[in-house]
Amino acid sequence: MHIRSLFYFLGEALKSVVRHGWMSIASIAVVAITLLILGCFMVLNYNVTSLAEDIKEQVQIVVYVDKNAGEEARDELQSKLVAHPELEEVRFVTKEEAMERLKKQMGDRAYLLDGYTEDDDNPLRDSYEIRTKIPENIPQVAEEVGKYPGVGYVDYGKGIVEPLFQFTGVVRWIGMFFMVGMAVTAIFLIAHTIRLTVYIRRREIQIMKYVGATDWFIRWPFIFEGLILGLFGAILPVILIQCSYQAAAEWTQENIYFVSLISPQLIGTEVAQLLVPLGVVLGILGSTLSVRKFLKV
Amino acid sequence: MIEMHHIYKNYGNDVVVLKDLNLVIDRGEFIFIVGSSGAGKSTLLKLLLREIIPTRGSIKIFGRDIMRIKRRQIPFFRRNIGMVFQDFRLLSDRDVFENVAFALRVTGVPAKEIRKRVPLSLELVGIKDKASKRPDELSGGEQQRVCVARAIVNRPAVIIADEPTGNLDPNTSMGIMNLFQEINVRGTTVIIATHAKELVNHFQKRVVVLEGGRLISDQERGVYINAH
Repeated sequence: MHIRSLFYFLGEALKSVVRHGWMSIASIAVVAITLLILGCFMVLNYNVTSLAEDIKEQVQIVVYVDKNAGEEARDELQSKLVAHPELEEVRFVTKEEAMERLKKQMGDRAYLLDGYTEDDDNPLRDSYEIRTKIPENIPQVAEEVGKYPGVGYVDYGKGIVEPLFQFTGVVRWIGMFFMVGMAVTAIFLIAHTIRLTVYIRRREIQIMKYVGATDWFIRWPFIFEGLILGLFGAILPVILIQCSYQAAAEWTQENIYFVSLISPQLIGTEVAQLLVPLGVVLGILGSTLSVRKFLKV
Repeated sequence: MIEMHHIYKNYGNDVVVLKDLNLVIDRGEFIFIVGSSGAGKSTLLKLLLREIIPTRGSIKIFGRDIMRIKRRQIPFFRRNIGMVFQDFRLLSDRDVFENVAFALRVTGVPAKEIRKRVPLSLELVGIKDKASKRPDELSGGEQQRVCVARAIVNRPAVIIADEPTGNLDPNTSMGIMNLFQEINVRGTTVIIATHAKELVNHFQKRVVVLEGGRLISDQERGVYINAH
């Protein structure tokens, strides 16, 4: 495309946006509202998923070392655990450390443990706290590790962990389902709105065809116009979501401190990365496809 | 310049719009195509614009077989033809100057040239003083003059007008027809499809009569005749 033509097409597109002011505002509003709903849902989905992940990641396996295992057996167990490909973190907890934790947990009644704190009297065992790379693999890994020599027994909250994983899985799928549903709805709504802006100008397209304009000459301004409408329609919800999420995150941090939301910066980038290209592509596609229908004169 | 031989046009299998039409139009001619609604006038004009192609027969325009014009060449072909419509088809959101300039802009004429040619064209049709008005501020006759100015601004070899006076009162219609005659005198071929019997008879030009898709009469200095 000639540079002069590029400016002409851009100018025509801008003029057209201004000339059809109300239609442009309506289109931008529809794009903005649709993408806003999609964006809000996205933020919600991200946070629910992230919370579920947080909970999942707190699940760990505790491998208790067999009381009768010697130093050598323990070393071997440790090296086997460290070498295990599915494990992400292996932490050794001595029985003294375990006793300290227990005392802390019992708080005021820690004196009850007084008789058991000495080395030989300590009923607790040395243990390894391990985390798997994929939390869902915990039951399998636990079973496998349980068979290693030198292991007394293994605990990972059997019976609680499985339903938890199932629940987080369902949450993720429901989220995905709604996200995709919302995205498809957004595509249809936006494409139809842009189509309307083209439809009211079918006469103009027809005249252009009669005076000998090439198809591309007719198409380019519409492409730019779709781009402009899509871009503005996407920037608005991005700003709105960014600002309101920032406020929501701050409020949550002050008032519900045990819930940690995804950082506003990260959400802002993610939302912008999805919505802006989506708006632009839909705007362009919507107008190009709609123009095509009227070019057959 | 325009040669049509044994043209047939069907829509589907049953609807026959044109039957064995033969018509030769020379450069610089002024020709009326008349006939009642459904006689095939619009179809004939659409063929000349390469909006449709005939079911059978051959059409040569400017020496070119229109069947051989590829889709993407159509715009360049149409730049040789100026079109005038019954309903004017002006863009209501632009002033008169822009409406005429439009035809030049879409064909890539530089802005400087446009500033020169549009006033000339407006002057020729007699509405130079209305350049900054919007179409809805003009009378019907003035609007049709804008449409004619737009049709002639890129100096086409042919002007095709489809019922150009259909929406105008008799006096105004006469003015528009005089304008076409002036354009014709300057060397442009003019083809007008119309119902306006008095006007046709007044101008004493070549008249081609269509009836039920057939050409039933073709006379120099002819008159509007009804087949019935």
